Amino acid sequence: MNDVLAPEPGTDEVDILFFLIGDALYGTDASQVLRIDRSLPEDITLPDLGLPHRGLRALVFDTPEGEGHLKVDAVNGVRSIPVAALRRMPAAVAAAPYAVGVCLDEQAPRPVLLIDLVETAKTQGRH
Amino acid sequence: MATQARPEQEFFCFRVGDLRLGVPSENVLEVLRAGLLTPLPRTPSFVMGVTGHRGVVLPVVDLLRFLSKGEARIGPRTRLFVGVSGSFVAGVVADTVLGLRRIPVSDILPPPLGGDAAAEHLLGVVQASGTQEAINLLNFTKLLQTARQRAVAR
Repeated sequence: MNDVLAPEPGTDEVDILFFLIGDALYGTDASQVLRIDRSLPEDITLPDLGLPHRGLRALVFDTPEGEGHLKVDAVNGVRSIPVAALRRMPAAVAAAPYAVGVCLDEQAPRPVLLIDLVETAKTQGRH
Repeated sequence: MATQARPEQEFFCFRVGDLRLGVPSENVLEVLRAGLLTPLPRTPSFVMGVTGHRGVVLPVVDLLRFLSKGEARIGPRTRLFVGVSGSFVAGVVADTVLGLRRIPVSDILPPPLGGDAAAEHLLGVVQASGTQEAINLLNFTKLLQTARQRAVAR
């Protein structure tokens, strides 16, 4: 599993892929994403992240059991974010295991929740 | 004849919903506008989400939900106070900041016996002057400990 908050050795930035589910903006380590595909009915949706409006796209990622597909509404691109702007999720809030941290990006009006895609597949229990 | 000084304790007092509450001032770092929160999946209902402040991710706590007294609403005038106990820091929703009050320790009445679950998190109650409602003084350290336990125990 990739650690979404761990930069490549020797770098101080991480490429974050931003995506929308419903009206909520999320981010994930872009290196986890194999490709962006059309979604299928059986693709992963996590109600805790909000219901997709149409969910016509899917982020495809690798898991030990094969490919995982997370249904999303839109992909807002990839940006290199300084590691200094990334924070791990405070343990005390006991958030879902796939909510691994937040991005305190100046371009976003609020902290962006960082999602570990592989953990979403474990939570859903299927791929 | 010199009057004897009455020991006092300083509290940060605020209103949230219909409650007037006080927190020992040593537990309060600063007050800020609530701003936009990021909701978190699968957290207890009293954790409204997180916000970023000075490069720190602050969990934001709704005391009304925590104390089973309703639920807070975030509006343009809503404030958060940054509360601290030990290594744990959280933002707490306040509708109105009443300010710092120095309260004589002898004026602090014990929490009501047989009160609801909220009473176990009270240091005491101070009757306000005139027609004003009483201020419930919170044991903030105990409150944060309980909040963490409830979050982790789910």
